[in-house]
Amino acid sequence: MSDRSQLIETGVPFTFDAQRDAEFERLVKRYPTRESMILPALWLAQEQEGWISAEAIGYIADRIGTFASQVFEVATFYTMYNLHPMGKFHICVCRTLSCYLLGKQEIVDYLKRELGIKPGEVSKDGQFSLEEVECLGHCGTAPVVQVNGEFYENMNVDKLKELLATLK
Amino acid sequence: MQVKVLSARFDIPDAHKIEVAKENGAYATLEKVFSMQPIEVIELVKQSGLRGRGGAGFPTGLKWSFLPKNNQKPVYLAVNSDESEPATFKDRHILVLDPHAMIEGIIICCYAINSHDAYIYIRGEYTTQVKVLQAAIDEAYAAGYLGASVCGQDYRLDVTVHRGAGAYICGEETALLESIEGRKGQPRSKPPFPAVEGLYGCPTIINNVQSIASLPFILTNGADAYKAFGTEKSPGTHLFGISGLVKKPGMYELPLGLPLLEVIEKVAGGLREGRTLKGIIPGGSSTPVLTPEEAQTVTLDYESMAAHKTMFGSGGIVVLDDTVDIVKLVENLIHFYHHESCGQCTPCREGLGWMLKIVKKIIGGNGTTADINLLVELCDNIEMKTVCVLSAACTMPVRSYLNKFRHEFEAYVKSDVSCQTAM
Amino acid sequence: MAEKVKLFVNGQDVEVESGKNLIDAIGAVGIEIPHLCYHPALGADGNCRMCLVGIEDGRPPLVPACKTMAVEGMKVQLDTDKIKKIQRDIMELELINHPIDCPICDQAGECKLQDYYMEYDGQKSRMTVPPVAKAKHMDFGAGVVHDQERCVLCARCVRFTRLITKTGELGIVNRTDSARVTTFPGRPLANRYALNVVDLCPVGAMTSKDFRFKQRAWFLAKSESLCHGCSKGCNIYIDHNKEKYKDDIIYRFRPRLNQQVNGYFICDEGRMTYKLENDNRLNVAQVAGKETSVNEAVENVRRVFSQAKKIVMLISPNCSLEQMQAVKKLATANNAVVSGYSDGYIKTGDGDLFLIQDDKSANRAAFGLLGLDSSKAGFESALVEADLVISFQNDLCRSLDDADIAKIQDKAKIVYIGSYKDGLGEIAAITLPVAAYSEDTGIIINADNILQQYDVAVRKNDPAIDLLQIVTLLGGEFKNREEVLTDLSATIAALNNIDLKHIPSEGIALTDKEVSNVAA
Repeated sequence: MSDRSQLIETGVPFTFDAQRDAEFERLVKRYPTRESMILPALWLAQEQEGWISAEAIGYIADRIGTFASQVFEVATFYTMYNLHPMGKFHICVCRTLSCYLLGKQEIVDYLKRELGIKPGEVSKDGQFSLEEVECLGHCGTAPVVQVNGEFYENMNVDKLKELLATLK
Repeated sequence: MQVKVLSARFDIPDAHKIEVAKENGAYATLEKVFSMQPIEVIELVKQSGLRGRGGAGFPTGLKWSFLPKNNQKPVYLAVNSDESEPATFKDRHILVLDPHAMIEGIIICCYAINSHDAYIYIRGEYTTQVKVLQAAIDEAYAAGYLGASVCGQDYRLDVTVHRGAGAYICGEETALLESIEGRKGQPRSKPPFPAVEGLYGCPTIINNVQSIASLPFILTNGADAYKAFGTEKSPGTHLFGISGLVKKPGMYELPLGLPLLEVIEKVAGGLREGRTLKGIIPGGSSTPVLTPEEAQTVTLDYESMAAHKTMFGSGGIVVLDDTVDIVKLVENLIHFYHHESCGQCTPCREGLGWMLKIVKKIIGGNGTTADINLLVELCDNIEMKTVCVLSAACTMPVRSYLNKFRHEFEAYVKSDVSCQTAM
Repeated sequence: MAEKVKLFVNGQDVEVESGKNLIDAIGAVGIEIPHLCYHPALGADGNCRMCLVGIEDGRPPLVPACKTMAVEGMKVQLDTDKIKKIQRDIMELELINHPIDCPICDQAGECKLQDYYMEYDGQKSRMTVPPVAKAKHMDFGAGVVHDQERCVLCARCVRFTRLITKTGELGIVNRTDSARVTTFPGRPLANRYALNVVDLCPVGAMTSKDFRFKQRAWFLAKSESLCHGCSKGCNIYIDHNKEKYKDDIIYRFRPRLNQQVNGYFICDEGRMTYKLENDNRLNVAQVAGKETSVNEAVENVRRVFSQAKKIVMLISPNCSLEQMQAVKKLATANNAVVSGYSDGYIKTGDGDLFLIQDDKSANRAAFGLLGLDSSKAGFESALVEADLVISFQNDLCRSLDDADIAKIQDKAKIVYIGSYKDGLGEIAAITLPVAAYSEDTGIIINADNILQQYDVAVRKNDPAIDLLQIVTLLGGEFKNREEVLTDLSATIAALNNIDLKHIPSEGIALTDKEVSNVAA
């Protein structure tokens, strides 16, 4: 894991929008402690903005009434929390075991060439970001690619070409 | 060879919707459950011989009976839906194809253990799956199977989905609890065990999705019907995931106890044309690899796996053929476990990173025999020195590759000219 | 006394206290179990794995000693080859990504990694691959500097800010060997106890901006003392060094364990009062603004003392019990009034529920014990006829403003017999330097009525005369400290049964009743 502790500060205060605010208040009743809302609140912030800024972490800590350091720990520990803006299409390629055996590297190499970015980077136009991720739990239909949360199974370069053509 | 117990509704279109599920038997057993005493439910599950399907294979009913007697605190159920062990993709099918089986199982379990709050911990990567699951839960609330009065009984049950966010370690049961409580997924030292002191310091049962989803069948048809499948010590059925280099990878429900090679041949279509078998990972990436010779006598049950010095694990079978470079496979595995180390204990945090760098050095052509020996030694130095078994989940299989395929590591070292001249 | 249980450690019978973990229980009888993350004030975390011990016939056979309670009959193995190998292996793993920069590390000489390497490891490095790179010299705020590469991630500092100060500024972010201690942007360490993380850190990851690069730990003499920064009386070590051709200088205060008073910690303000002992010192005697010898100044004091019609002896709440008693007796013999007026030493509302007290003096409780009045009214009425005010360490400028002091000066001569140059030391007609508490021996009673003794820590090249001697020179009845102690034991009811010449290191708790009885 690379260092995820260099947070980005937007300089703009963060707050939940009305929808997330309501969702926060609905969920907080489901747990006996407010700290339990740390993971759900980080998800809400990410849904709202696409990523999680330093301001969002500070806001969540204050809203929950816990230490910013604890929310910071959680945000950096769990790798699905995006701590910088992602591309409009965030492409995750599974790199583990069965996907590795069935050619994930060809897929990664193709995407690197095609998008002009390495895993962990965002294209200059902000359209694409690429990430190699650990096992996505689709080993029976490997290799698998996830784009903005949607799964694409039994992938190969040809299918990838078709998929990329639809991502505009 | 395939059977339809857990997967009975998998092929029915729209079985994830409550009307379809109900038409096909979902929630039908609850009336009977509520007519039983909780202790009777626990006894029945004990009799069924159901073993935890998360990987450890601990008897489910026995686990429930570890809850403290005369307990005054709330009891929690945490359903482990973190399914993250590489080669494991069984629970996902239940979540998407028959979520009501799991919800029905949650109701049965919670009634048996006197719990009113269940949390389903689902891995963050299951983005589309969580939507199906949440919709099913919403349906169950609307239909009165969850909420203030379950099935009209004086019994409240709330089920909350808690999403992970990319951390394999949260499949470890105490890391899962930490995550629900809003912390990093760092496993707790045991004792205390969760049954005594778990979520929010209260008695907690943590069960795998598949274990929970097995309950409706057991309650409907009885312990004997369940035990009719499988072996004496490993009764029942399991959703096996077969992946890797076979013709027909996929998820297959099978009774326990079938011969491994026969299953690969008949169910998964066997090896691809012209290939020969190099090894089989029998139960997820953390289980020691079997050579083709060893695989000859293995059957798919806990006892046979143990007898072959490996584990049944999560039932995720990976087939390796002669095209596989074992050293690079080991790099892939160590990369995974290193990436997923929670960073708490020194041996795992520091050691797995070191092992990864050594393997990379070997693959890069700069390795020596001393590096291979160091890898073997590090497996010993790290294993079982930590709070949880993540490090062992890495060192056990890695040691098996180093022992059984040492020549492949040596080939990398010997091919290195610069290294030889240096010596 | 706690119940005892019998253990077998390395095959030997050992009797230890029950209810303690193996590190503390076995450690108490002198057998070390190495550990980095466990700290008695922070509890067991179990992350370093350095304290793994074998339990013969145990299930499991290998346990972390920090998480394992001593139980009757337990057979603990520390010296088996297996345990020794584990300790060596863990040390190897602790060190692979450590910079091993001991020559430039402040912790060198008091570093657990160094100690344990020598004791439990001692093997050559097998690391042939690049270590993990992390950030260095990070300013965490509150004078704490962090080096992520030296850190062993024991989380003591994190737990301190969460469990003790409850401010939670620190966290361990990331996972894997990328994990590191840091602060959240814009929320640095900002609590009044932050520097304790430097003491808690078992390695060189947390250093004090104030202390770093000043001294090597092995050159420092470590003397036991009591902080005089407030009325808590926290137990400290005075770390000082007299370099060749130089004077004895204090480099830092560190907390010293006293469960009855301060536990393991001290506050940062108190910690920094060492600077007053070095720098804010009255070093020369002065008479009417002119530097004189001490003898000459004493002669001058004796002269004004004998000529004065009405004397007010102003005693400081920082004076020791003995000094107060000696001054009190001197005043009685000379028909002088003693006042402990020192309202300026109290910062109302500054204290907290942990260690910091409102009262920034160390021995105010002794006023009650000796029946010394410290009211403003008492002081003012004493002033009415006074033509001489002799201050014993009492910096009146903390309690009165310049105009009030000027009014006193109009009618009375002010003599200051003290250690510090600020305030009264700058304006008194006669100033006479005396030893500060770090150079003296004395008894103080803290805000919780715990009586403790401090001893000489620092020995200056040119030592100042001590305050008791001055009192003797002014005609006081006691020839030395022993005589004061004998008198105190004989005349103060609350001290009748206390051997003031042998005060235990943890102090003696006087009950509230004992103290107030005398005061009444």
